[in-house]
Amino acid sequence: MKKMAFTLFLIPFFLIGCSNEQTIQILNESGDEEKRAEVEEMIKNTEEVYTGTAIFVEDELLVAIQVKPWLGFKERKVEKRLQKEIEEKYPDLNVVVSTDYKMHWETQKLLEEEDQKKVSEKVDKLKKLAKEET
Amino acid sequence: MDPQEYQQLEQQITPPTPYVKNVLKAFLVGGIICTIGQAITYFFIIFFDFTDKTAGNATVATMVFISMLLTGFGLYRKLGQFAGAGSAVPVTGFGNAVISAAIEYRTEGLVLGVGSNMFKLAGSVILFGVGSAFFIALIKLILVSVGVLEW
Repeated sequence: MKKMAFTLFLIPFFLIGCSNEQTIQILNESGDEEKRAEVEEMIKNTEEVYTGTAIFVEDELLVAIQVKPWLGFKERKVEKRLQKEIEEKYPDLNVVVSTDYKMHWETQKLLEEEDQKKVSEKVDKLKKLAKEET
Repeated sequence: MDPQEYQQLEQQITPPTPYVKNVLKAFLVGGIICTIGQAITYFFIIFFDFTDKTAGNATVATMVFISMLLTGFGLYRKLGQFAGAGSAVPVTGFGNAVISAAIEYRTEGLVLGVGSNMFKLAGSVILFGVGSAFFIALIKLILVSVGVLEW
């Protein structure tokens, strides 16, 4: 009986892994709808990504993506590829693509932020953090 | 009684080692320790300015600090008895090895006691860890300069 209960308890954990829907959210402060749609498409086309958040502020773009758990070892490659893709398409944008959890967490919070100045400051800070090594 | 007979007798009397049970215990306890470590990593990422890359150092320091407290209060020994390798393989086991040696030799003085005996067990971990890291870095350097891999 105990064993049965334990097994039943574990089933949801296995089933959670089955949902494979991509969620992509974009905050656009620079007001260029075309870019927004294209970046969304680019993230969508990256198969390894299950959630992506992009923040446009002036000429800065911060893309935070989360790679599917089993493909975690490809993180760096996905990051580089997407960065290159976006940079080639928009050479005038200052792009940082990151698979870091910190970026994901902070950008999720930024989606609700109203004050554009604060968003801009935060994006600058996050970009600095993304480059930090130690 | 000749040695062979004695060996047979010994094998009959010794209770069988519960390998499966031990492995399960080690797996569970090791997993729980790693889960705690992961939780601490997320704590640092969410509440402080750490990223995936940089949170590792802080997490290791915290885990070693926790294992220091547990060793000092004599709780880590009990955990080690129960879980075996499950508690020795994560970094907390390394911390335990250093700190328990430091506590044990405290009576022999700071230099000849603590200083010289602290790394008696953990020293080999450091030596072979640094050594193997060096050789792996060397292999990677060769592969990169040949052109097989990228940094």
